[in-house]
Amino acid sequence: MEEQLAELAAQVAALEAASGGSVTNTMFAETFYYLTIPLMIIIHAGFLAYEMGASRLKNVLSSGVKNILAFAFMIPTFYFFGWWVYWGFPTGIPGAPGPAGISGIEYANAIALGWGDGAQYMGPNIADNASGVFFGAFALFAATTASIMSGAVIERIQTVGFIILAIVLGSFAWVVAAAWGWHADGWLVTNFGVHDYGAAGLVHAVAGFFALGVLINLGPRIGKFNADGSANHIPGHNMPLTVVGLMLIIVGFWGFLMACVIVPGEAWSWFGDKMSTIYGTPITLSALSFNILMGIAGGIIGSWLFTRDPFWMMSGALAGIISTASGLDIYFPAHAFIIAFSAGLILKPCADWLENRGIDDAVGAVTVHGTIGLYGVVMLGIWGAGYPALQGAAGEVPTVSLMGQIIGAVVFFLLGFVPGYVVSYILKMFGMLRIREGAELAGMDLVKVPAAGYPEWGGDAPVTPAHPAE
Amino acid sequence: MLFPYEEASWSAVDGAMFMGWGTSLPGLTTAIAMAICVVVLVIGQRSETAKAKAFDKL
Repeated sequence: MEEQLAELAAQVAALEAASGGSVTNTMFAETFYYLTIPLMIIIHAGFLAYEMGASRLKNVLSSGVKNILAFAFMIPTFYFFGWWVYWGFPTGIPGAPGPAGISGIEYANAIALGWGDGAQYMGPNIADNASGVFFGAFALFAATTASIMSGAVIERIQTVGFIILAIVLGSFAWVVAAAWGWHADGWLVTNFGVHDYGAAGLVHAVAGFFALGVLINLGPRIGKFNADGSANHIPGHNMPLTVVGLMLIIVGFWGFLMACVIVPGEAWSWFGDKMSTIYGTPITLSALSFNILMGIAGGIIGSWLFTRDPFWMMSGALAGIISTASGLDIYFPAHAFIIAFSAGLILKPCADWLENRGIDDAVGAVTVHGTIGLYGVVMLGIWGAGYPALQGAAGEVPTVSLMGQIIGAVVFFLLGFVPGYVVSYILKMFGMLRIREGAELAGMDLVKVPAAGYPEWGGDAPVTPAHPAE
Repeated sequence: MLFPYEEASWSAVDGAMFMGWGTSLPGLTTAIAMAICVVVLVIGQRSETAKAKAFDKL
């Protein structure tokens, strides 16, 4: 009898421990994602400083206003429909449910709408610790895409036109890419084994090439190109501010990449006792720590070698992260360093190539995020081929392959470039894209902002040739 | 194919899971990364010295 009682007591204790562990996991997951949100807001502090520093005195505040408004409009629009798109369309159109049972329009209606039954998961709910923090992390991913585009178009875009573009990019275009390539039911994953752990393609490349589509219709700043087609360098008013902004973006990316981890204890966890990627494959924060640090270092060193320019060095740090982001879970650190170094090396030549084709990308966003994003996606196809792309074994689930990653890269390019070009073209038709010439020459702060950035300071630095003869 | 286990299955993974574990790749990439650091420093020193010399006559 005593033995049976002891056995029963042990079972009760085990059950209590299991229950307590579950609660602890839930609270851990909630806290984990909650903390990624302020970390990712640091990305926006960085983009704000970066863009304002890269603007001339006469445009410094309007660049800041644009960036702040992008963030402000991204959150509600992602709440209204972006979150719903992510859950609704992983299998493509028309939004059929996928094999993992967490996708499709019916599922999205049930959990991601701000009205009807789904609204219970879109607000305070004592039985749901996951939706709000997971939504928050994704909303900040969305805001990051808008900020990437924001820097490229400074000093000549209209505010409302820009916000419309930011909404299309942040609450729709990249969300479709995420649904297709960053979801257990995503058709790029289940059919082609696309693996993009840290969103090199589906965030960075989509945003970068969206910006390219916009830049084609927006045109260069007045004075950027000479009559013979040669480019001028238009210096921003505060390089140190830009460089510190870039460093802040790097800080924030620790939150971004941390938020790409699926931890135990929330509704969409793959496991109850270990972390995974969004694909259900294993990952540790140690893996991220090794590879992000080596990626940053490799990118800086690669870009320093030929540029010696702190702007490009810190852009190289970003390029280092982005070029390795797809495989941060499975690269060896020295391997990540070499890939990041190569990204740092090619960064400036790629930006020059674009500039020589008449594209005025004020901060190099198309190159840093677009070109290097796709480079990272393809690199993983070369080195990571054969890895099971989802939880399971090769044969049961698709494996990473070069062809699969190239297909993913093409889809991410199109999901960025096409909506960016089409929507900006429509805005241009309606006169909502570019500010009037007189206002651009006078400075956009005079037109848009009832305040002065540096009221006691003088004029802008002189414009000089972008590629002076050696 | 750099998956470090004979069976390409996540259930087989019980330790290191980076590309090339168990092959010479980690050592090779570490050596290359070290060489990159040294070469970049050498090039950096040479070019900075050359540029600095240009100011000697000023």
